[in-house]
Amino acid sequence: MSEVTQTEMSDLMEASGSSECSILLSTVRAVSSWSRKNSMWPLPLGLSCCGIEFMATAMSRYDMARFGMEVARFSPRQADLLLVAGTLTYKMAQVMTRLYDQMAEPKWVISMGACASSGGMYRSYSVVQGIDEFVPVDFYISGCPPRPDSVLNVLMKLQDKIDRDNTYNLTLETPEPGAAAPLEEQTVLGGRRHGPPIALATAGERFVKPGPQRSMARGVKPEETR
Amino acid sequence: MDRVTQSCMVYTDEAPEGVSDAVKTALKPFEVKWSVHPEHPTFGGHGGWPGCLVSNEDWPKVFAALKDEANFEYLVDHTAVDYPDRKPERFTVLGLAQNLETQERLMVRTRVAEGGAVPTLTHLWMSADWAERETFDMFGIRFAGHPELTRIYMPQDFDGWPLRRDFPMQGHNRFRD
Repeated sequence: MSEVTQTEMSDLMEASGSSECSILLSTVRAVSSWSRKNSMWPLPLGLSCCGIEFMATAMSRYDMARFGMEVARFSPRQADLLLVAGTLTYKMAQVMTRLYDQMAEPKWVISMGACASSGGMYRSYSVVQGIDEFVPVDFYISGCPPRPDSVLNVLMKLQDKIDRDNTYNLTLETPEPGAAAPLEEQTVLGGRRHGPPIALATAGERFVKPGPQRSMARGVKPEETR
Repeated sequence: MDRVTQSCMVYTDEAPEGVSDAVKTALKPFEVKWSVHPEHPTFGGHGGWPGCLVSNEDWPKVFAALKDEANFEYLVDHTAVDYPDRKPERFTVLGLAQNLETQERLMVRTRVAEGGAVPTLTHLWMSADWAERETFDMFGIRFAGHPELTRIYMPQDFDGWPLRRDFPMQGHNRFRD
């Protein structure tokens, strides 16, 4: 909340004719950033040993709660931060993409550890070589696995970023009727699911795998699977 | 390192040492070749279990006979081996059955060409369901009569069969260097 300088505040106090100021001036952006960064609810996607380190970070010895992040949510609807901790396979990448799509804006992503950031030592046909093939990443944590202090360091850096961040503006404009949708609907790269495909609200074109989308039906004929 | 493209197994008509009479009786109606490892003749096969080679048609019947007559009630393992230079039948499909009372095991083999199919064992063992799906997923071998032969480990749209010896180790990914 550094939008109003001390001098301006003194002037306001003088103008009001009182030495006690009962009004605190700020901007909506500053207040919203402040509340966002101090009430970050992570969705831990613990895929391998990095998940254990994340658990250590959340437990009392390192105590992530000191930064307003103690509420690890296992529903993407309630989470602000997708924390991908561990080796991501292509099959799981479909699940991760779907979880990311289900999170409400604003949302952030941290890639924890070597595997999530670059595939790590798994240079193989089944492992995603960096989760940024599928979702936009705000921070990468090095280490195999990273120590809890690295995680805390990056969480604090993320708080700084949110404080600075002007990406998400708060204008509540309603789109004009008849205006083109900002992004065309895409089929989610989800895992097996039932029901009609879910339209992506936010994912840009670069995060959608090119080529024909998969058929989710079980009972795909073997010759079609090839 | 040279890749293994040929099986070193030698096949005979005589059952090796250690095969029980119950198994010999159960397998009497079928044309069975017993496998012998040339360097370990008494083992009768890799891993210390007697092995035999049967035709594709006999494959489920042999297991049914083992299960019903020789009390081999447990399917321990089910997989395949790829010998890419062996013509025309490139793959060996393996099934390992066990008698839980005597602890006797028998590894039954059959051979199948690329694109061919082997009859399923799912009517004998429920556990053969996922095992055969895994073999299909990794080698592309079909199992005729399987209730739902789809990939089990890899994504459904995955391209290629990872455990074939001509499959590139890193798959068809584009790696960033």
